[in-house]
Amino acid sequence: MTGAFLSCNLNVYLFMGLFLLCCGILGVIYRRTLIAMLISIELIMNGAGLNFVAFNRFVSPDGPDGMIFTLFIMGIAAAEAAIALAIIILIFRKYRSIESAEMEEMKD
Amino acid sequence: MAGALTTVLSGSVIYAMGGLVATMFGIAGLYVYLNAPFLAMMQILIYVGAITILIAFAIMLAGPFYKRPKEWTSVGKFIAALIVSIFSFFMFFSFIMKVSWNEGKGVFNLATKDIGRALFDRYAFPFELISLVIVVSIVGAIMLAILSKGEK
Repeated sequence: MTGAFLSCNLNVYLFMGLFLLCCGILGVIYRRTLIAMLISIELIMNGAGLNFVAFNRFVSPDGPDGMIFTLFIMGIAAAEAAIALAIIILIFRKYRSIESAEMEEMKD
Repeated sequence: MAGALTTVLSGSVIYAMGGLVATMFGIAGLYVYLNAPFLAMMQILIYVGAITILIAFAIMLAGPFYKRPKEWTSVGKFIAALIVSIFSFFMFFSFIMKVSWNEGKGVFNLATKDIGRALFDRYAFPFELISLVIVVSIVGAIMLAILSKGEK
């Protein structure tokens, strides 16, 4: 029953992507540690990818364009996670904390 | 969805990582419903396999989290974030409800072969570009590690 409901409706996927986006925004603003903010950014990117695949499935079903964009999003997310975690570990070694509220002295 | 909420709201970062894994599995299931099993496979491989392990290593390297106070202290910040999130939710909600996407009822039955062919046919240049981006990011991460060791 839920399978048929899921496979013939575009709005379900749009709402799911929207929910992921809002959770990501909430996490980026609310969480205090940098790693949790990075996880929230991953949530936002996954919402975007889900929307791409849903539009590819329902609006333009003659070509794998949305899937390829989602693959690119996954690659970009992997690269961004690697860089961000390297920077986070660097910051941790220097300041002994990874809370973003204590980062004001980074400006000098 | 419960995984996403756990990811955002949990106090510890380890629990947030568990929530991320649950969310990734849920999205992979949605990809299967969308007739894209290759993407579901790649989702599980990349996110659950690679990014989560990376985050786990970062958490373990970045020291003890259990000694720090919980994150529920800043109630005002939480309320502000909730207001922003709910506002954006209803804005996009009205947008989705207003626009009627003309949903084609075409058969969507693409094999992995089609993805690969389009990847090397039309999207050859972005493909090479993203490989370059990943190589540069790996080299940058290694250089950051080496430079930090040199500073000490």
